[in-house]
Amino acid sequence: MSASVMSPVSDKKSKAARQIPPKKKITWNRVWAQRALIAMSVPLLLYQILFKYVPVYGWAIAFQDYKPGRGSIWNQEWVGFDNFAQLFTGVNGERFTRVIINTLGQSSLSLITGTLGAIILALLINEVKNVPFKRIIQNITYMPHFLSWVIVAGLVSVALSLPSSGGFINQALMNLHIIDEPILFLTQPNYFWGVVAGSNLWKELGWNTILYLAAITSISPALYEAAEIDGAGRYRKMLHITLPGIRPTIVILLIINTGWILSTNFEIPYFLGNGLVSQTAETIDVFVLRYGYQLGNYSLAVVAGIFKTIVAIILVGTANYISKRLGQETLV
Amino acid sequence: MSETAVITPEEHDVTPQKRVIPKPRRKRWTLERTIFTTLNTAFLCLLSALMVYPILNTLAISFNDGMDAVKGGIGLWPREFSLKNYDVVFHMHTIYQAFFMSVLKTVVVVATNLFFTSMLAYALSRSEFIFRRPITLVFVLTMYFDAGLIPNYLLIKDLGMLNSFSAYWVPTIISAFNLIVIRTYMKSIPDEITESARIDGAGEFRTWWSIIMPLCKSTLAVIALFVAVGSWNAWLDTLLYNSGKQYLSTLQYELQKLLSSSMNAGTNTGGMAGTAASVGQGGQVTTPIALRSAITIVAAVPILLVYPFLQKHFVSGLMIGSVKG
Amino acid sequence: MKTGKKKWAALAVAAAMVVGLGACSSDSTSETPAGEVVIPDGPLADASGTLTPSNPTTLTAWITAAASAPAPDNKITQLIKDQLGVTLEYEIVTPDNVDQKIGVMLAGGEYPDLVGTTDLRMRLLEGGALLRLDDMLATGDYPSLSEHVEPYIKKMSYTGGEVEDGLYIFPNYNRFYGEITGGSYYGAAFWIQKRVLEDAGYPDLRDMTIDRYFEMIENYKAKNPQTEGMDTIGFELLASTGREWGMTNPPALLAGSPNNGGVIVDENDHAEIYANKDIAKQFYQKLNEEYEKGIVDPESFTLTFDQYQAKLATGAVLGMHDQGWNFQTATQSLQGAGMDQYTYVPLMPVYEGVEPWYADRDVMNTNQGFGISTSSEQPEKALKFLDLMLSEPWQKVLSWGIEGEDYEVGEDGMFYRTDQQRINAKDLTWRASNRLEALLEVLPKHQGQFSDGNAYGPDDQPTEFYDTLTDYDRTFMEKYEKQTWREFVNDPPENPVYYPAWSITLSDDANMVNQQLTDANVANLPKIISGSTADFEANWQSYLDVVSGIDVAVYEDAINEGIQDRLKNWQ
Repeated sequence: MSASVMSPVSDKKSKAARQIPPKKKITWNRVWAQRALIAMSVPLLLYQILFKYVPVYGWAIAFQDYKPGRGSIWNQEWVGFDNFAQLFTGVNGERFTRVIINTLGQSSLSLITGTLGAIILALLINEVKNVPFKRIIQNITYMPHFLSWVIVAGLVSVALSLPSSGGFINQALMNLHIIDEPILFLTQPNYFWGVVAGSNLWKELGWNTILYLAAITSISPALYEAAEIDGAGRYRKMLHITLPGIRPTIVILLIINTGWILSTNFEIPYFLGNGLVSQTAETIDVFVLRYGYQLGNYSLAVVAGIFKTIVAIILVGTANYISKRLGQETLV
Repeated sequence: MSETAVITPEEHDVTPQKRVIPKPRRKRWTLERTIFTTLNTAFLCLLSALMVYPILNTLAISFNDGMDAVKGGIGLWPREFSLKNYDVVFHMHTIYQAFFMSVLKTVVVVATNLFFTSMLAYALSRSEFIFRRPITLVFVLTMYFDAGLIPNYLLIKDLGMLNSFSAYWVPTIISAFNLIVIRTYMKSIPDEITESARIDGAGEFRTWWSIIMPLCKSTLAVIALFVAVGSWNAWLDTLLYNSGKQYLSTLQYELQKLLSSSMNAGTNTGGMAGTAASVGQGGQVTTPIALRSAITIVAAVPILLVYPFLQKHFVSGLMIGSVKG
Repeated sequence: MKTGKKKWAALAVAAAMVVGLGACSSDSTSETPAGEVVIPDGPLADASGTLTPSNPTTLTAWITAAASAPAPDNKITQLIKDQLGVTLEYEIVTPDNVDQKIGVMLAGGEYPDLVGTTDLRMRLLEGGALLRLDDMLATGDYPSLSEHVEPYIKKMSYTGGEVEDGLYIFPNYNRFYGEITGGSYYGAAFWIQKRVLEDAGYPDLRDMTIDRYFEMIENYKAKNPQTEGMDTIGFELLASTGREWGMTNPPALLAGSPNNGGVIVDENDHAEIYANKDIAKQFYQKLNEEYEKGIVDPESFTLTFDQYQAKLATGAVLGMHDQGWNFQTATQSLQGAGMDQYTYVPLMPVYEGVEPWYADRDVMNTNQGFGISTSSEQPEKALKFLDLMLSEPWQKVLSWGIEGEDYEVGEDGMFYRTDQQRINAKDLTWRASNRLEALLEVLPKHQGQFSDGNAYGPDDQPTEFYDTLTDYDRTFMEKYEKQTWREFVNDPPENPVYYPAWSITLSDDANMVNQQLTDANVANLPKIISGSTADFEANWQSYLDVVSGIDVAVYEDAINEGIQDRLKNWQ
């Protein structure tokens, strides 16, 4: 009895897995039998190919000295892999390595704190008994998501400034006697990744919680009842029912997000990354903006985009594979 | 053992009204419970304060005199109260039509997106579906690449959708991320439910629409929220595809233009290029910092109002958990 | 599948329409207008009869401007319709979005009649979106435009080689007629608060040095450590993203060179970067010392632009290096609060033995303004419209407004405004109904003076300037025996032919090197300035090492090439 309570989801999964026929050969009979499913999916597949895959011919720009003034994409000068060489070697190359490390660092930190924070908050909100209070908390925590990054960056910058400029973080730390002198956080390279992760956490925490809250609602109340009969306390129910219940959601979101790890974190580094912290602040997207779009060098931007795609697919593939090996939910 | 693990349809479709708790159990008021509740409440209050501060701050600045707001240091209450910022926003003649267009666009995008994405998600959640994996892969990959502005623009142009409402919703009827989220949820619905439907003679389409969809309410509510917020906040589609027709303009795009026009005229020429003459035209009663706050509020409030309506779909579930707590 | 069908249907309809349109337009061009041409009376009408209310015209205009479209009830819109029969359909794109929009417009290849661009990279021009206008102007049908371009035709013409050489764009600013008037100074300077000078007994500002400048600030700060309850800040360094020039430009100005961006151009017209030269080292060493003394605000490097403006607007900042247009909001905020003593006066510190050259003559951005698109079917009408808008009567309407409503005419014929009219002109909402800001932003202008002696606009009218001065400012000026703020800076000498070097269009490689230089400055100068004075030499050296790793020659060569091109084409 209690064993089933411990792992309701994996139990269900293994059951489902047993029902999948061991081999699936595509035969005309099976295709015909599944014609309804095919009708529901294949037109949309073609649609997706038209709108997402066909325009990928635009990647040809990566191999061109692209000038919008020359008109069509096919009316450009072809330069082979020059743009790739430009990005990955020389002065840019050194920087690009650093930029990749910064992106990875900032994004990983944001992903870990963001995921953990959202799960914990979802669990805590789930424990609230008072429904109006619960609703209010939810409504408030997701609001920062609707502020633009310009405003958030401004607020973060003020919060981290000297107490005389409204820097309440320094003020608080000094009042608590954790520090004697105010720290100019935004001039310290060591703090920058933390600033990014903190800003992201703050802005998106409530928003990210929504999916987990929705997942929690799908957990059968019967499981909680059974656990209570077993004498399980609050923490055991959290650990052994709620968490496993939202595990597929957690796993899927983690896999998806690993793919975006090189594509996140543009705004805070862009708005707050001053010269003193640039060695830890600059991310790929900031670099691409400065050296690609702002200089009219579209080819460089596309090269960076292709690079990110390749890395993303490798990362997602790996994450998906690991998840599969661990018997968890998979993307594909 | 399987009785508790396998969720039956009835159990899955619980609503507070239907599910009557057989016998109210007595709460055990233990010290642990009290401490936990107190700490939890205190923590959530603190967190909410931290989250709500910037909103109230933005609100305060938006109701503050523009020139005074430049000095900064405004907290939770306006220092020099003024309605001028809102006056400027609501005097913009394009704003009402743009608001209507934004609402229309958001409604259409949410409806089409939910319909098509969930239909596809259903097909891809059927473990017996032979093309399940390749099709899923095709969609998953789209999350990780972007063809670029120009080829996308040319496609829209070649399809004859420039300066038309269809440019808003046709390219976006499927979102891979939402697809995966819905599919994952659908997969967690036991196969017995679809099987029994099939035995009753329901086809795939009916199974999806009448049986699976109602079970996915909470997830669909979340996806509806995601899609609505995304569509509401988008302005790039207006800029690229529909900026040639004023009636197709959206609220976000108009507000963005307004903000830009309130900036000091000299700054737009970029760094050192500022010319004396262009500045002479400037001069305003509102300032960018105050107007930006008013614009943020005007842009966010309509979409913020959507949440409480969708929220009940997952609060109802939570309530059961809480009664059980 | 449904969409597919629709698409074909749409294509068929479109095809039919194209055929139909073709037929229509050939009809209308072959026959003379059926109705008689009625030209309204008055100076605003088109005497040539091209644009009349009896023969209405719709012009589409694409404009890059940080301005809203006019309100539907706009009175100038109505006036244009009444007098010329012209209806304008605007598509206004803000400067933040224009890069993306230009890319897709060029890919699409379809443009409105009038293209108002501010793109320094001339993508629309080089992409073939604009019509070469020399032949049309040569017909003599466009007298105002001809007069406008005639003396500067070489400078205004495109010579880049991507499309045929010639005139494509009418520059929107800084083609001057008559005398240049105006009392405010919006250029670069080391600014200082008026109260500092007042406290020092209005010292002589001639032969200002950087040492004296900081000495005044130090003295004042020592005497007044607090301002309005806040700590007084000695010197604020502008270094926020995109405005790093606040930190990087001063060495050239101190060395008596006008603002050429990242280079100094010598008397032989040869350009060289100065960031790694002694003139730069000297300045940053001074800043480093002042930083250690607590004069330079330690928060300088982390301020967003909003925070920077906020600090100035509190009145606590005694001085900074900036360009006047950049901190207008802060100045207006201070003026609005009646805190004139906290507003700023431009000073021009220089190194020993050089003449200050802070103020330069306003230069034309020859690639910013209106052109006619190659896909326009009515280029003559579009050009005629631009021509009429540039005529003096229309320029007065666009810049001053309607007489009796937006301005008054004195007995001496000089224009002035009442207080209410001045207030109106600052109101965004009022402006949407009473001015055509987006259009005017890119139209060619009659800057300087009109033939009747009035200035182009209210802000340049000397009497308007003087009347709007506060008592504090008047007294302040009297102490220095000056009439305008402009008199506090040097009388701008004639610009060199190539000037300014910062507007030279660079190749991708040169752009990249330029960006690398900027990044090296942004990453290293703050360390040099905020580091311990004992480490200055070491920090400076490591900065030099970074700069020497950059292929500066690529950038310098490109600039020099651009200078030579301009010398050849503009003389």
